Amino acid sequence: MANQKTFTKPLIVGFVTVFIISVISEMIGVKSFSVGIGNVTLLPMLYAVVMGILVTPDVLGKVIPPLKKVVTMDVVEAAGPVVMIALLPLGVKYGTLVGPNIVKIIEAGPALLLQELGNLGTIFVALPLALVLGLKREAVGATVSICREPTLGIIGDKYGITSPEGTGVLGTYLMGTIFGTVFFGLLGSLSLATGLHPYALAMASGMGSGSMMTAASASLAAAGPPEMADTVLAYAATSNMLTGVTGLYMVIFVSVPLVNKMYAILEPRIGRKGGSN
Amino acid sequence: MMAKTLEQLKLLTAVGFVIVVGQSFGWGIPIVDAIPGIILVILVSQTALILKEVLPMIKFPAFAWATIISFVLSMPFMPTQAWFLGTTSTVNFLGTTPVILAFAGLSVGNKLVQLKKLSWKFFVIAVAVFIGTFFGSAIIAQIVLKFQGII
Repeated sequence: MANQKTFTKPLIVGFVTVFIISVISEMIGVKSFSVGIGNVTLLPMLYAVVMGILVTPDVLGKVIPPLKKVVTMDVVEAAGPVVMIALLPLGVKYGTLVGPNIVKIIEAGPALLLQELGNLGTIFVALPLALVLGLKREAVGATVSICREPTLGIIGDKYGITSPEGTGVLGTYLMGTIFGTVFFGLLGSLSLATGLHPYALAMASGMGSGSMMTAASASLAAAGPPEMADTVLAYAATSNMLTGVTGLYMVIFVSVPLVNKMYAILEPRIGRKGGSN
Repeated sequence: MMAKTLEQLKLLTAVGFVIVVGQSFGWGIPIVDAIPGIILVILVSQTALILKEVLPMIKFPAFAWATIISFVLSMPFMPTQAWFLGTTSTVNFLGTTPVILAFAGLSVGNKLVQLKKLSWKFFVIAVAVFIGTFFGSAIIAQIVLKFQGII
């Protein structure tokens, strides 16, 4: 063990930046407003992710040169590994919501398990759209699932990450990484307008990504009936853990064969002629 | 292992500091009141990291370990429930989130070049993927919960 320093300069700058962003986000606080079809609830975490992206060298750093000198690419690199550590206190808080509600969760077991099949919805909704837009085999990778890390591994293994399927899976992965939290942070509260029960929406929030689940379920909990808030968060956390356990097998044994089957049926009918893209 | 643990503990402490100061602004929880709570949260988090390290055959991420430990300590028939829930209650659930998302936002800074290379079509498709998985699950859950009489 060399005397490697934990707090390198980029990491310290990262923490100071995050500290400032967190304080500003918390000072703005929870905001709720109507957008016609329903209510949107904005949470501090949403401002935090937007501000975090904004201060990076390729965004505001391009416009404000002094910022680029402070928040460098080294800071961006140093921030990556801290995300996993920073998630843990939230994990602990989720446990305190799941524990007291254990009886409710066991009762809802059948719903929690069966709704995992709903993740196949991507194939029925997004695959036809991708084909109409003119994608070919990229569509298979892009719509096989919500494309978090396990799917990236599976598709990379099966087709190679530089294959058209690999390009597709990376595309959805990247979109999810950059826009996922913001998208689900807005959808969480807005989804109540569909009339689906908050508990059903809560279970849907667990998609195998800790930050997307939190964005969706926390804004759902804040916008829905207050007496349901704890159960909403508990169901979401449980569903997310289930996806973590079952998701990998589901993608290998169900999603990949199904998306290929659907592709074979749909592509000749609705796919565009000519090359992909 | 010891060195790694110490390093993680330093990072967790820094994260805890941001949480405690942040939530004093957002949720009006005095910093001093939150100190026992955040220490307990940090200790459980560190235990999760250690468990992940010593039990690699169980492929659980540290996040899941953290939830499981805290879940077991706060179950109704556990003698630890009142103490654990009471102590951690000074750490606000939403208060733990800005620090995560600020780091997550910073960390995607190096992916924006790749993003520009992607066709706009991938954005539209990703939105359809998000909506498909979310409402696919929500509709099944709604049907089963109705059938069970829970909702």
